[in-house]
Amino acid sequence: MSAAAHRDGPPAVWAHAWRSGAPLLVAVGVGLLMHFAVQPAVGAFKARVLVDIGINVILAVSLTLVNGFTGQFSIGHAGFMALGGYAAGALSYYGSYQLFGAAAFNGGVLSWTASQGPFHGPWVGGGDLLFVAACLVGGLVAAGAGYLVGLPSLRLRGDYLAIVTLGFGEIVRVVLQSTQTQLSQAAEVAATPWPLLTLKLGGALGFIGLPFYTTLFWVYLAVALTLTVAIRLKRSSYGRAFLAIREDEVAAEALGVHTTRYKVRAFVLAAFLAGVAGALYAHLVGSINAGELGFQKSFEVVIMVVLGGMGSVSGSTLAAIVLTLLPELLRTVTGSVNTYLPPAYELPDLRMIIYSLALILMMILRPQGFFGLREIWDWRVRRRPRPA
Amino acid sequence: MTPLLEVTRLSIAFGGLRAVQDFNLALAAGDLQGLIGPNGAGKTTVFNLLTGVYRPDAGEIRLAGRRLDGLRPFQIARAGLARTFQASRLLADLSVADNVRVGAQLRTRPSLLGTVLRTRRHRATEGDIEARTRRLLETFGLAERCDELARHLPYGDQRRLEMARALATQPRVLLLDEPAAGMNPQEKLALRELIRRVRREFGVTILLIEHDMSVVMSICETVTVLDYGVTIARGTPPEVQGDPGVIEAYLGVAAQTRGPGGGA
Repeated sequence: MSAAAHRDGPPAVWAHAWRSGAPLLVAVGVGLLMHFAVQPAVGAFKARVLVDIGINVILAVSLTLVNGFTGQFSIGHAGFMALGGYAAGALSYYGSYQLFGAAAFNGGVLSWTASQGPFHGPWVGGGDLLFVAACLVGGLVAAGAGYLVGLPSLRLRGDYLAIVTLGFGEIVRVVLQSTQTQLSQAAEVAATPWPLLTLKLGGALGFIGLPFYTTLFWVYLAVALTLTVAIRLKRSSYGRAFLAIREDEVAAEALGVHTTRYKVRAFVLAAFLAGVAGALYAHLVGSINAGELGFQKSFEVVIMVVLGGMGSVSGSTLAAIVLTLLPELLRTVTGSVNTYLPPAYELPDLRMIIYSLALILMMILRPQGFFGLREIWDWRVRRRPRPA
Repeated sequence: MTPLLEVTRLSIAFGGLRAVQDFNLALAAGDLQGLIGPNGAGKTTVFNLLTGVYRPDAGEIRLAGRRLDGLRPFQIARAGLARTFQASRLLADLSVADNVRVGAQLRTRPSLLGTVLRTRRHRATEGDIEARTRRLLETFGLAERCDELARHLPYGDQRRLEMARALATQPRVLLLDEPAAGMNPQEKLALRELIRRVRREFGVTILLIEHDMSVVMSICETVTVLDYGVTIARGTPPEVQGDPGVIEAYLGVAAQTRGPGGGA
């Protein structure tokens, strides 16, 4: 290897670094573009919808790693999101008290939403670093939980695994809802050691007063990185091992795939990304409440994956986008229709009805999801043998 | 010389059914042996025992001296024992090439970080997998169809893909479970040639389960006959074909008293 590097000289090294790292630059570029160009252009409401889309894309693509690639049916994804959100919130909230004296915003321009008013701070503030650390910690805590749950339960198949993950999501919700009252006095926080602080997460009222850091920049940076990871995994030994498990577990084992290990890996990675999504969500809303992240949220993500395509990164991305926009469009439609109707005949919120119908139709007409295993850019691939 | 694959007194029972009893086998490096027997004799059960799908109740399996019994299937594959399946178990929704790649990646150690960052080492490994995959696809005449989904292959191609995929794991011993099933006479002739060629070119030792006597008797040097889980004969094809016990197992007692072929 060193001989080759020597012969090719520096240009090859740069070419190599570019091939490895280009998506990182693209990710930062996309984030900056969204933050500085798109955000001011579309206004606060649409920017918020774009943020929601981004978070849902991360959730859907991460669940695709488990439900789509390895074919395991996990329906507790919101549990990982909640864990990540609470862990990140604990770090940024109590960390802000300890570092800056209050749980207030302390970031730079990248974490500042234009609709909050003009910004006079630095490019990057100390709070940004705390926020990034919080997102990573949120991901790691969720990943740790994914490992603990996945190791024993991924030996189960099909419905059994689904029930375990559903139960896991509910347990997480209940545990987080029974945490202690959060501290909101700087002196109290200073007097409490960290292990105890992690128990004081607001309980049934939710964990509130978190600093706002989540902007289009951070969300789309995370989206681009998530997509890169998922696509690169799919087209590698990892992805093939995942897909082999989904196709035929016995055959995969016979070909030397350590099925349990790969299932756990997919599960842990998905949990990590869901944890990051939870962290982004917590710092978008400024609070997080496990009550909102129950199995209904998990199902929303499952629906995105199932509709988009079981195993299609681009398909689940597209489904996440459509299914996030849909309620917004429906609200507008039902709203304008309802202005012409007497109050007794007003249309209700049609979202869940349409979701269910779409799901039922999909199961009948195209059970593998809209894109199946394929990606949008795979349409060139021949699907059937050429006539001889 | 110690055999490459040595099986001693291998037994398994499912409830009261003794599916395989005291099965012994010795495969020397380069052997091409057959395992035959009537339906339900326990042939595929032997394969499932050898490859770790079932755990034996008793007995030992050794590959080049290393104990395989009790290991999980993927560990046995890594140890160098590969198999095909009686009913095709291709990765149906993956491409033909991906089916082979999954086998070809067995002896690589992919790292998550390396994969995500597409490091130089990662690309070198993937390139190596790709090269070996191409070679196998060409050997098996599947290169043309490499981008098609495995489920869309004609039946004969599917059987060959199973073999290619198993060989991609670079095994020392290859177990073929009824490779000729469902093939027409021409395909069977081609299959005989292919199996001989595989042994020559890949240097593998082969154990073959087959119902089709023309295939077994023409290519195997040694044939073992199972009936109700018990080994009833072992020898060269002519020896086995003349063995009264074997004829009885296949054709029943009446046939034996009339002599082989006499009643027909």
